[in-house]
Amino acid sequence: MSTEYASAVAAVRAMECSLLSPADIEQLIGADSAEDLNGLIESKKSAQNTLSEVWEMLRSYAPDNEELKILLYRNDFHNLKAALKSVISGRNAEDYFVYPSNFEPKLASEAFTSKDYSGLPEYMRETASEAYELLTETMDGQLSDSFIDKAALKAMISSADKCKSSFIKKYAELTAVCSDIKIAYRCALMKKSLKFAESALCGTEKLEKNTLAEASVEGTEALLSYIEEHGFEEAADTLRESPAQFEKWCDDVLIELAETTRSSPFGYEPLAAYYIAKEAEIKNIRIIKVCRESGSDKNTVMERMRKLYV
Amino acid sequence: MNNLLAVNGLGITFAIVGAVCAALFAGIGSAKAVGFVGEAAAGVVSVDPSKFSKVLILQLLPGTQGLYGLLTAILLLSRIGVIGGSPAELTGIQGLMFLLAALPMAVVGYFSAIMQGKAAAAGVGITAKKPEHNGKGIILAAMVETYAILALLISILLIYNISI
Repeated sequence: MSTEYASAVAAVRAMECSLLSPADIEQLIGADSAEDLNGLIESKKSAQNTLSEVWEMLRSYAPDNEELKILLYRNDFHNLKAALKSVISGRNAEDYFVYPSNFEPKLASEAFTSKDYSGLPEYMRETASEAYELLTETMDGQLSDSFIDKAALKAMISSADKCKSSFIKKYAELTAVCSDIKIAYRCALMKKSLKFAESALCGTEKLEKNTLAEASVEGTEALLSYIEEHGFEEAADTLRESPAQFEKWCDDVLIELAETTRSSPFGYEPLAAYYIAKEAEIKNIRIIKVCRESGSDKNTVMERMRKLYV
Repeated sequence: MNNLLAVNGLGITFAIVGAVCAALFAGIGSAKAVGFVGEAAAGVVSVDPSKFSKVLILQLLPGTQGLYGLLTAILLLSRIGVIGGSPAELTGIQGLMFLLAALPMAVVGYFSAIMQGKAAAAGVGITAKKPEHNGKGIILAAMVETYAILALLISILLIYNISI
């Protein structure tokens, strides 16, 4: 066992103490007013950190680690979509960029304007070029979005395959599985053609692309049965309940994966796990705030809460 | 082989190599382990400086193998008269026996220090998350010490029971 990142892992373990606990979450949900809620959030040191701050901190502990970058691929490709659409529509992309990102999102806008993609990370250059061609030829935003989303998953799986960590491999696989199930379910609901489903799905070892697409064309019940048969019973059950419950399941499986690193004193996996935990924490706070604004009752909010890492 | 062992001065050379191995390998093991436990400890202290004293104990634990190696080397050098200025005239076989006597401490010292360091680094993680359970982390890491002590014991017994 390598003893790399001993300092980073120990620091992360110390920081985990300040992650929100179930009691903290209950307190936030029970806040009497929006002002109380904001006051409570401000009083929790951890809750104030943005994902960008967390990322910067993790990178300061592991500046040379390439494997951690996979955690930001979704943001990177989202920024690519935002830049492409903004260049085509002439809007300011800055408002649509998400952070943290592995590259400065403005570079994507510049790349689309100049048609020179060499400034982008290698894993997205080809996608950027092809997505631009696709969108300018078809002017179909949905098609280019699904093309970029699929490329993001493929880039994730490809990067994960190159690294030795089973954690990262599992992370990429789960992310792709969740995304594929979501796409296939939408295809089934919207009665999309087999061709569209096949072009939008990424495919993984556990959920093969073509058969998943065929199941989606047969309807939602056939799709859910297919998912069940391939070892994702909980995913099918939560989809039967509601898409919101399925979204929660997608986040929860990643937290369960993060929990597998709980006893590791070395390696970069606990750093990745901490980032995943912070993502879930920030999502929980966002849900509580939105539910508070929309006047949802406490039980509804509790049902939507993502698993906690603590 | 017999001719080789009869070479003048070879016995004392073997014995000194034994002392060197005990000090060297146990020392390297301890230095490595104290180093990475120190890194882990620094990580915790960078977030919460109040935990310094608790993680310091864990950092010190894998340092003992280096001391045992030093002790073994001193006892061996003393036994063969190098410390004191009158080296014994050892045959090649006797020298080889002293070299073998030092090996338990050299080999077990090196590996047990590394392993104890890993256990101590994990203990630093316990201290970081649950400082009240710091003692458990220390006990878990200290268990590895048993094997370093056993190796020290056998090395000392051998060194004092080789007839000169």
